[in-house]
Amino acid sequence: MKMSPEYAKAQANMQPGVITSDGFLGDDRRPIVEIIAEDESKMEQLHVDFDEAAERMHRLLDEGRKGLGEPVTVDGRWIVQVYEARGFLASPFEDGIFRKVNAQVSVAENGRPGDLQLLYSELSLHLMEKYHFLQGRGSPFRLEPHRIRDVLFLQNTLK
Amino acid sequence: MTPAITPFSLLFASIFTSNILLANFLGMCSFISISKDMKSSNGLGLAVTMVLTVTTAVNWLILQLLQTLGLVYLRYIVFIIVIAAVVQMLEMIIDRVSQTLYMNLGIFLPLITVNCAILGVSLFMEIRNYSFIQSVVYGLGSGLGWWLAIMALSAIRKKVEKAPVPPGLKGAGITMIIIGFMAMAFIGFGGMLQVQ
Amino acid sequence: MENAPAIVQALVAPLSIGLISAVLGALITITDRIVNNYGDLVIDINSGKRKLEIKGGAPMLQTLAESGIFVPSACGGRGSCGACKVKVKSDVGPHLPTEIPYLEKEEIEQNVRLSCQIKVKDNVEIEIPEALFNVQEFDGVIERVRDVTHDIKEVYVKLPEGKEISFSCGQYGQIEVPPYGKVRAPTQRAYSMSSPPSDRNHLEFLVRLVPGGIVTTYVHEHLQEGQRMKVIAPFGEFGVKDTGATMICVAGGSGMAPFKGIFQHMIETGEIETREVWYFFGARTKADMFYLDWLNELDGEYEKFHFVPALSEPQEEDEWTGPTGLITEVLASYLTDQIDRSSPLEGYLCGSPGMLDACMAVMRKFDMSEDRIYFDKFA
Repeated sequence: MKMSPEYAKAQANMQPGVITSDGFLGDDRRPIVEIIAEDESKMEQLHVDFDEAAERMHRLLDEGRKGLGEPVTVDGRWIVQVYEARGFLASPFEDGIFRKVNAQVSVAENGRPGDLQLLYSELSLHLMEKYHFLQGRGSPFRLEPHRIRDVLFLQNTLK
Repeated sequence: MTPAITPFSLLFASIFTSNILLANFLGMCSFISISKDMKSSNGLGLAVTMVLTVTTAVNWLILQLLQTLGLVYLRYIVFIIVIAAVVQMLEMIIDRVSQTLYMNLGIFLPLITVNCAILGVSLFMEIRNYSFIQSVVYGLGSGLGWWLAIMALSAIRKKVEKAPVPPGLKGAGITMIIIGFMAMAFIGFGGMLQVQ
Repeated sequence: MENAPAIVQALVAPLSIGLISAVLGALITITDRIVNNYGDLVIDINSGKRKLEIKGGAPMLQTLAESGIFVPSACGGRGSCGACKVKVKSDVGPHLPTEIPYLEKEEIEQNVRLSCQIKVKDNVEIEIPEALFNVQEFDGVIERVRDVTHDIKEVYVKLPEGKEISFSCGQYGQIEVPPYGKVRAPTQRAYSMSSPPSDRNHLEFLVRLVPGGIVTTYVHEHLQEGQRMKVIAPFGEFGVKDTGATMICVAGGSGMAPFKGIFQHMIETGEIETREVWYFFGARTKADMFYLDWLNELDGEYEKFHFVPALSEPQEEDEWTGPTGLITEVLASYLTDQIDRSSPLEGYLCGSPGMLDACMAVMRKFDMSEDRIYFDKFA
């Protein structure tokens, strides 16, 4: 698949050491347009809507922020911990800079964070929302479609 | 045989009558994708012009060498290597000489290595047997023509953005059609002068 | 050529291409040598206070570091933290697009630059805080790593023999971890010192695991006792003001670090007997709390030291009887009826930007003046 220079540049920016030290692509060597296309079809098979997922993730991030760095229980279902660090990260698509804010969303099990977790940052949420880019396999911020569905309880939203 | 054409006519011809983009359709990928943004178009146009002028001159010299050695069949690969190397050196020199220019060119300079118009001009220069002066002028003219074409296209696209384009044609589709019209308009220059 | 044996003819093409490539490669190297050789230059710091003779061509941050001047950098020169600001008094060209997002409008007017983004290409004059002359680089050895909670580690670093550090409580240091996994370059991050300044041969840091964080992941999963680690310190202006005012300290998680050092120092100087100190420590559950025994001991031993731990979501097994709620709510309730507000109050905060904003809002509500609230935004 041929990529526009915009995506080619983004792919170059996603290499380790350009914006973040470990990059956005993990061990994935495919062009990002292929990664995006594959994830779009996976999301469709799972009946998960990108916008709906993103909206829920935004809300969890906002709620988690109220914990001031400590974990917070949201709706009795999730335990969200938001980490803020000094500084900013530029988007690989060069369309903005984002604060280093990470949210770790876990499905609560008896008041403790369970093993079912989703980790995202303001930047990775932006990439998912605007470009449907869920990052390469093996990237620490990779958002697996089935995990998005399971952690966010989106399986019953079939319309 | 070196063609009998004055450098001035050749400059005019390469900008208008046989515009590398609109007559030969070379350098299309960056033409379509970058023309979305006027500022980038300008940077890319400038970079293409500079690189074209320099690489055509260098490739002419290399071609003489290949001809003496009877290695003309290697020209494709040699031209590509030369273009890559020249772009590298050009980038370093510009970085040193003018920060402002370097910033304006930004990412475009290294990207140009793979622009087909650059290789195309070197190959035309060889096929048409241009002299050194002619080659340089042809390189410069083709660059200016490319620059002119991308600026014109990006200006048109700015207007088209606001026009009610059918959804299926948005983006690349309508752009291709516009380029077609532009090419037809440029054919109008064709009657004035021919270089082939 | 046509008469040459077939084998020679077959070799001509690859050999010629190889030769041409080699010549071009050599040309590029020569151009690089000529063009990127800026020769011996001088960096003038603070109008002649220090003059560094350096080789030009490299980023300013790196050039300064090679001469022993360490400008703070939380990201290690990647242009992502905006900490390495330096005021440049000579012309070094326009601001780069990579710098602008990190600079305020006034800073741009004063030609403040990110020193990791600009290259030294000419003699330059710069201005930096004098305290940076004191910053040193240490090739330390990890003496001890221990878990204080499930996600916070205490890292105790021994400085090399014969080297000593002098710093004040509340300052921070930058630690550097080597490349590992997909991370291909050494990475630096800043952490507050939690050891007291009297321990001149050691530095201690508290490192909380941040999912996806490069340095924190390394510290939590790979760091071994006995291993070498580069530390650059001391940086920062956070610290206790010598006013005798009541200290209202708020921190959660690894925000504890500067306060651990501060309290230890106060014990050593005896200030803890004479100065009112309130320390509010917030966590979600008891499992997230640490140093509880030590702090409770201090609370019992010294009349003027008050330790207020609060849990936001205590679990049943915690059997928690202390204050509950977010640390800001607990702070507000203590400011309402426990703390004597007739004597002057000073705020000391350490935590994430969100936590600081929330605490500042509470303190302002209780008429604490903003210029007497000191904070350390941590990374």
